[in-house]
Amino acid sequence: MFERKKSVWLFLLPGALGLLVFYIVPFFGGIYYSLTDGSYRNAFVGLQNYANIWKNQMFVLGLKNTMELSLICAPLVWVLSFAIASLLNRLRPKGAFFRNSVLLPYLMPSSAMLLIWLVIFDYGGVVNRLVVALGLQRVVWLQGAQLRVPVILLFVWKNLGFAVIIFMAALQAIPEPLYEYARLEGAGFWRQTFGITLPLIVPTAFLVIILEWINAFKIFKEVYFIGGAYPDEAVYTLQNYMNNMYGKLNYQNVTTAAYSFALIVFGLFGVLFLSQRQLLKRLT
Amino acid sequence: MKNKKLRQPRDRKLITRGLLMALAILMLVPVVVTMLYSFFSPEEIQAFMKTRGSYDAGKWMAVKLSPQMFSLNQYYEILIRDMSILHMFVNSALYAVAIIVGQAAVIPMMAYGLSRFRFKGRDAIFFVVIMLMLLPFQVTMVPNVLTLRSLGLLNTVWAVVLPMWFAPFYIFLIRQFMLGLPNELLEAAQVDGAGTIRCYFSIVLPVCRPILGAAAALTFADCWNLVEQPMTYLSQRTDLQPLSVMFNQLADSSSGIEFAGAALYILPALFVYLYFLKDILAGVQLTELK
Repeated sequence: MFERKKSVWLFLLPGALGLLVFYIVPFFGGIYYSLTDGSYRNAFVGLQNYANIWKNQMFVLGLKNTMELSLICAPLVWVLSFAIASLLNRLRPKGAFFRNSVLLPYLMPSSAMLLIWLVIFDYGGVVNRLVVALGLQRVVWLQGAQLRVPVILLFVWKNLGFAVIIFMAALQAIPEPLYEYARLEGAGFWRQTFGITLPLIVPTAFLVIILEWINAFKIFKEVYFIGGAYPDEAVYTLQNYMNNMYGKLNYQNVTTAAYSFALIVFGLFGVLFLSQRQLLKRLT
Repeated sequence: MKNKKLRQPRDRKLITRGLLMALAILMLVPVVVTMLYSFFSPEEIQAFMKTRGSYDAGKWMAVKLSPQMFSLNQYYEILIRDMSILHMFVNSALYAVAIIVGQAAVIPMMAYGLSRFRFKGRDAIFFVVIMLMLLPFQVTMVPNVLTLRSLGLLNTVWAVVLPMWFAPFYIFLIRQFMLGLPNELLEAAQVDGAGTIRCYFSIVLPVCRPILGAAAALTFADCWNLVEQPMTYLSQRTDLQPLSVMFNQLADSSSGIEFAGAALYILPALFVYLYFLKDILAGVQLTELK
């Protein structure tokens, strides 16, 4: 650790300057727009925009869909990746092929995968063949509310691998003697999982869900790939709303929407953080 | 009884293996099939893609796994006859290079400052980085547009490139790795008279190779899948769009060459994956991610 070195500012300057110009100043500067009416006088209207935006159906729809989709995607990736990491951990030191193939999609552009997705989820496609083979009716996957299924699966396909890698690293960091000792004491599989694995993995699990959640807010990408710029109502996300408003040069609406969303996100992450702290306290 | 107990662990591993194998196939199939379809002739793909979107319950799309005739015509079309896809591919590559070079210059330096120095305000700066990392793109987009416009950068490539140079997530990631470096490493160099700058270039950077490689690969994956930024920051410049935003138009127009486009786009990602695989694994493993 270097103490009292002035040169630290040399290292920090470029990055801090960039963060200031492209993140911090815009963030606070934008608040001004959300508090004015956008007319030629640009009158100050207080929190009027914030009151109005909740009456805007498209905003509420976009917010609702973004929250719903992210509340499905993030936990889904979270649980699946933990399960897969545990399976992979059992095969250690073998299983590199499985691990590598799960990670591969993370580096793949999901934009290029869209073609295959359209083929697989077509009314006459492979997924429906499976559905029929299971004795069910064919489903129209690419229209209406069902559109969420291919969108979510594309997201999960791409993002699963990185979460698996993070969980695997955490699982491998748990010292093996802990389990041996537990086994000597007569603890079974579930006892070991709840007594050793889970408490030691809580901080990592917290990190993964936060990362996946941030990622899931960007699910507009997958929606855009599969549903285009004007998708079905069931997958109309906040980003769609903002793009539309931005296209109409309605900065008041977009900034107000942005900060309303920011408040919600920070509220959620705050709650998550506090509950993680509580959980850790109770477990140790 | 005894026999059963002996067999149990192997059976369990067999089930584990089976599950993982099924999973691996699910993960790989989309990539493999895309590659495969790029070697079909454009006419065959065109005819195949036309059978999509029929809601006749009596009809199925064919499950095609081998071409009528192996053909490089799709590649001929996109690489030689009509260069518009290639043009956008080059755009994508230029964005990726510009972004990664800028990040390499700025981000490890900042991470070094935030991890190996003790000074007033360090925790405050790191807290701000974490907060920025948590902000979804929807929140930063519009304020950013306003700034970029007043800087005169809107609708230029810099609008996409510059904000990405300071991506907070990578500052966080690399800082966490640098925190874990043993103190003795730098103390020994200091005794030998190396200053902070010498330490950075000749010790910290080389030692950080796994996390730098991992960060480069992850950021490449971001750049190769750019959608939101070019759509909003470059809304008036169709000539500057990367290939990633064009695939749904390609699918709609169904000209028979879309799979070669996709395969071409996958190829660099595949190389990056193979080249940085070890770094990603080691980088994540060695980073204190909490």
